[in-house]
Amino acid sequence: MSRARYKGAVAGSGTFSGAGFAVKLVLIALVDALGVFGVLAAWRAGSWGILAATVALLAAANWVYFTKRSLPLKYILPGLAFLLVYQVYVVGYTGYVAFTNYGDGHNSTKEQAVDALLVQNERRVEGSPALPLTVVESGDGELGFAVVEDGAAEVGTAEEPLEAAPDATLDGGAVTQVPGWTVLDRATVLQRQDEVTTLRVPVSDDAADGSVRTQDARTGYVFQPVLEYDEAADTMTDTATGVVYTPNDEGQFESADGEVLPVGWRVTVGFENFATAFGDDRYAGPFVKILLWTVAFAVLSVVTTFALGMFLAMVFNDPRLRGRKVYRTLMILPYAMPGFLAALLWSGMLNKSFGVINQVLLGGAAIPWLTDPWLAKLSVLGVNLWLGFPYMFLICTGALQSLPGDVYEAARIDGAGKWRTWRSITMPLLLVATAPLLISSFAFNFNNFTLIKMLTGGGPRFDDASVPLGHTDILISMVYNVSGLDGSAPRDYGLASALSIVIFVIVGVISAIAFRQTRKLEELS
Amino acid sequence: MRRSILLASALATTLALTACGSGEPSGGSTADADASAKPSASGSLTVWVDETREAAVQAAAEAYEAESGVDVEIVQKNFEDIRADFLAQVPTGEGPDVTVGAHDWLGEFTANGVVAPIELGDKAGDFIPVSVEAFTQDGQVYGLPYAIENIALIRNTELAPEAPQTYDDMIAAGKKAGTKFPFLIQSDGDKGDPYTYYPFQTSFGAPVFEQNDDGSYRPELALGGENGEAFATWLGEQGEAGNLSTDISYDIAVEAFAKGQSPFVIGGPWMLEKFQDLDLAVDPIPAPGDQPAQPFVGVQGFYVSAQSKNALLANDFLVNYLSTTEAQTALFEAGGRPPALVEAADKASQDPLVAGFREVGATAVPMPSIPEMGSVWSFWGVTEASIISGKADDPVKAWDKMVSDIEGAIG
Amino acid sequence: MTTATERATGPATGRPGEQVLRHRMTPRRWARELGWRHVVGVLAVLYAVFPIVYVVSASLSPTGTLTGSNELFAQVSGVNYAALGDTRFWTWMGNTLVIGVATAVGTVLMGAAAAYAFSRFRFAGRRLGLTALLIIQMFPQMLAFVAIFLLLISLGEVVPALGLNSKLALICVYLGGALGVNTFLMYGFFNTVPRELDEAAKIDGATHAQVYWTIILRLVTPILAVVALLSFISTFGEFIIARVVLQSESNWTLAVGLYGWVSSLLEANWGLFAAGAVLSAIPVLALFLFLQKYIVGGLTAGSVKG
Repeated sequence: MSRARYKGAVAGSGTFSGAGFAVKLVLIALVDALGVFGVLAAWRAGSWGILAATVALLAAANWVYFTKRSLPLKYILPGLAFLLVYQVYVVGYTGYVAFTNYGDGHNSTKEQAVDALLVQNERRVEGSPALPLTVVESGDGELGFAVVEDGAAEVGTAEEPLEAAPDATLDGGAVTQVPGWTVLDRATVLQRQDEVTTLRVPVSDDAADGSVRTQDARTGYVFQPVLEYDEAADTMTDTATGVVYTPNDEGQFESADGEVLPVGWRVTVGFENFATAFGDDRYAGPFVKILLWTVAFAVLSVVTTFALGMFLAMVFNDPRLRGRKVYRTLMILPYAMPGFLAALLWSGMLNKSFGVINQVLLGGAAIPWLTDPWLAKLSVLGVNLWLGFPYMFLICTGALQSLPGDVYEAARIDGAGKWRTWRSITMPLLLVATAPLLISSFAFNFNNFTLIKMLTGGGPRFDDASVPLGHTDILISMVYNVSGLDGSAPRDYGLASALSIVIFVIVGVISAIAFRQTRKLEELS
Repeated sequence: MRRSILLASALATTLALTACGSGEPSGGSTADADASAKPSASGSLTVWVDETREAAVQAAAEAYEAESGVDVEIVQKNFEDIRADFLAQVPTGEGPDVTVGAHDWLGEFTANGVVAPIELGDKAGDFIPVSVEAFTQDGQVYGLPYAIENIALIRNTELAPEAPQTYDDMIAAGKKAGTKFPFLIQSDGDKGDPYTYYPFQTSFGAPVFEQNDDGSYRPELALGGENGEAFATWLGEQGEAGNLSTDISYDIAVEAFAKGQSPFVIGGPWMLEKFQDLDLAVDPIPAPGDQPAQPFVGVQGFYVSAQSKNALLANDFLVNYLSTTEAQTALFEAGGRPPALVEAADKASQDPLVAGFREVGATAVPMPSIPEMGSVWSFWGVTEASIISGKADDPVKAWDKMVSDIEGAIG
Repeated sequence: MTTATERATGPATGRPGEQVLRHRMTPRRWARELGWRHVVGVLAVLYAVFPIVYVVSASLSPTGTLTGSNELFAQVSGVNYAALGDTRFWTWMGNTLVIGVATAVGTVLMGAAAAYAFSRFRFAGRRLGLTALLIIQMFPQMLAFVAIFLLLISLGEVVPALGLNSKLALICVYLGGALGVNTFLMYGFFNTVPRELDEAAKIDGATHAQVYWTIILRLVTPILAVVALLSFISTFGEFIIARVVLQSESNWTLAVGLYGWVSSLLEANWGLFAAGAVLSAIPVLALFLFLQKYIVGGLTAGSVKG
């Protein structure tokens, strides 16, 4: 870049400073306007958390862009805002879930659990008829049902049990008019459907006779509740047996002799999930194997992809070579394919009896690529190599071209051979240059769930373990399995979150240590 | 195509509208608030369906829209995703009013309180009994059944003119036909496929769970013991003989049968679409054991969300519109699964292949819907696969280990 | 602009011992120095391309099962491609392009700004901040969907456009990862731009914003292209979060849609899937071809002084 040209740029934008300020003002005004809109909307919706977050972000934005003291933040804030909302919050929330029993059977709030229990335990009175039903409204706005039983009309509300209404008009078996009541049309009924579906009209003064309810506002049935909820005492009572259930610490209703009702709700359980994670004997054996394999898989994936990528990069780094562009383009193809798709494809190609590898390339061999423990590991690494080498190839190609030429010259003068030059100059320089990317590649592979899931599903299974885990399972796929996310056990998001926090800590610590090491390397070179 | 674009935009608009509407806090919403949120339309209904059922449900939805003035939004999902998404979304107040689903999800759905019971009333009698039973738990019906599906033996009549009576007959006929495979049964690598293999297992008298008198299951394993071990031994022998192979995936089985590489394939009506050029017959599955080979019956149906704000519409739509002969027939034509409504099933049975599946289904047993079933599948399949592939040296030992592992997992 | 390309290709031709001798090489010498490279190249290309040939073959087979189609190009027909027209494929393609491009642009803008700050300003917690950026991205995404789902529900109650089933919301979620590995890549490249340039500009009275917009950004165009490509590719293949966020079929991305075609075994249609996969690789490939010269040059300088 010539100074002359840069001067031209500055001179060309002589009024830049003023214009730039105006642009900044407009942008901030825009952000503020959107922010204020967000604040108002949050106010209306009653979302206090979002309201507070929006206000905080707005204040931060205005402070950062109108003060002189926060220069770096001016550049970092936009990305940081997204990072905070969509990543840090997400990690934090997962951390919170790790301390709850969120999962199957504890899926919702207590209110919903109570509703569900009541709804599930309301039984139609055996042998009771289907009653053609009409929704009606009394003069003071109270909803009621007009039903036809044995050809005679009856009307009632939640407060007043059904009573005969001899002067009602019937048409097609249903009530169309009742004096003293307004028959609601379909649209009104739909608007008030919450009220209609929750309305219970007692059949008689005796509660034991049950009450009429409807689900479609066309037909009513007589129901009797099996469970009753006492809001004041916060207890459930079985009307048939008289057993009383009270809420326990686990988020379930429990009777005195320890029997629990099926639907529970979400409560915080402290460190219980972490205790479970490390306390189940059945997982103790497989865990060690899986941890070792996970580390081996992640490290080997990085090493193999980097080695092949670097080798190819060096091979094609000769400017005399014709067709380099073509080679490079073709070799990038695996990278253009979504990972899950490639893994699925390979799992078909590696099928023992029908896969193209055995059938066509190896002339009908029956090599159990995905079903033998060691071959499966090899296959996983091979497929990951296929997926990952183009990326490393790209990076190394770039890095190689910019290695300082004078070092090579010096090496040549010292009489160093090709191998020595590579080992003591090229390789260390490349490593330093690509270290952060290698570390993040390690972290990515440590959690490369998609590949394992799509290629082997973790198989082949451990023969000696009593849990559905296999030789190619990595920690994250074990979490998927242990916490039932694969459907093989009741789903337990709390446990899954706790385990993913643990994994995050493992990966984070390893990476942080690796970073320190590379920084030392960097300082040395 | 053009219609689908229109539909898509309509969908987007209504979604945006419901998104606005659902902003109201559910607890404190009064009738007035609801009325102001939806000024003109008298309500809207969201229905989750998968790809094969979309068109058919759409037809029923249009009929319903025309008659009631209610908007019905059809949201297409992967069938696989529906179960987990429904469980995850309903408690948050999101999620659909109605979703399509399989009956064996029921245990999990009720344990999480995400489904509401529906009252079929007298209509219950119009359905094939097993279909309503499958959606019944503790005396309550939780789903509107629309299809019954089960596997049977599909036979290429050109290669095998006679229906085999026993398993050995079938193998003999298959060998006589001189095709590449004597018969085809799908598996899934080392994960196995216990669903498709189940009829063989029942023929040895080893059902998966104990059944109560009313047909419901209780969480006590029944697949162990002598009968189960006999089945395991048989699996090992057949695997060694090369009649069973874990490498034959669904795709491979279908393609091989379509190419005439075997006279028999064990499979369901969903395969037939690929066999349109062949002359077929559907027969009962020949039993290798001394009891009848009963496959699992799966019932497909519609569930109503426990958190639906349109429960009235949802029930009305299901009970009064999706249970009609037309709707059930349309669903049959879209998905090829025999209808659950007797009248529609009779109509569909004019096709001898459908009648064949229905006949086999009549002797079949519903797949367990108790939540414990989830812990069974994976151990079950892997053990079967390892016995067939010869990886497990001793089938009986492998089977016994499986039984104790499942017991450990159920807890 | 010219400077950038010059810098990218410059060192390559300047390598010692690589004077061009192409015209006067003996066959033996050719084999020793270049011939083997072609052998390696052909082998590598075979390894890279074979599975792709296989997909192309499956996409052209009218019977359409994947493991059952070992005879490559036994039957060639365009039915699968034609059948894509009856599906939402092209809608998904459009969605994916919109989301991919928007994410790529956003990532480049925000990542470059952050990289500039890290590269040019010295402030407390700079090193820690850089490391933290990388480490926070290592959180296993597989489970994040629960939290993302709940977050979007609450946001959607306030601003529907940021809630579930909105492409904008998905873009925002992706932009949450804008600072991360990519920032690192750019940071390294920014460091290679001589500081004397900005200092000289500052002496001439330019503000930091002027330096950034009119000088630095022009010099680092290659790395911007690279990061755009990397971001585009990762958005293109992402389906775990996308299928949680985008609920209605008309909003799906290609990855979600294609995954749907094969995820349920019974309805599997490999032919259609393969055709879709082949077509979906084209945008990525086209972008790569277009950016190739930047990529080689771009990663070059960036990684060296990272």
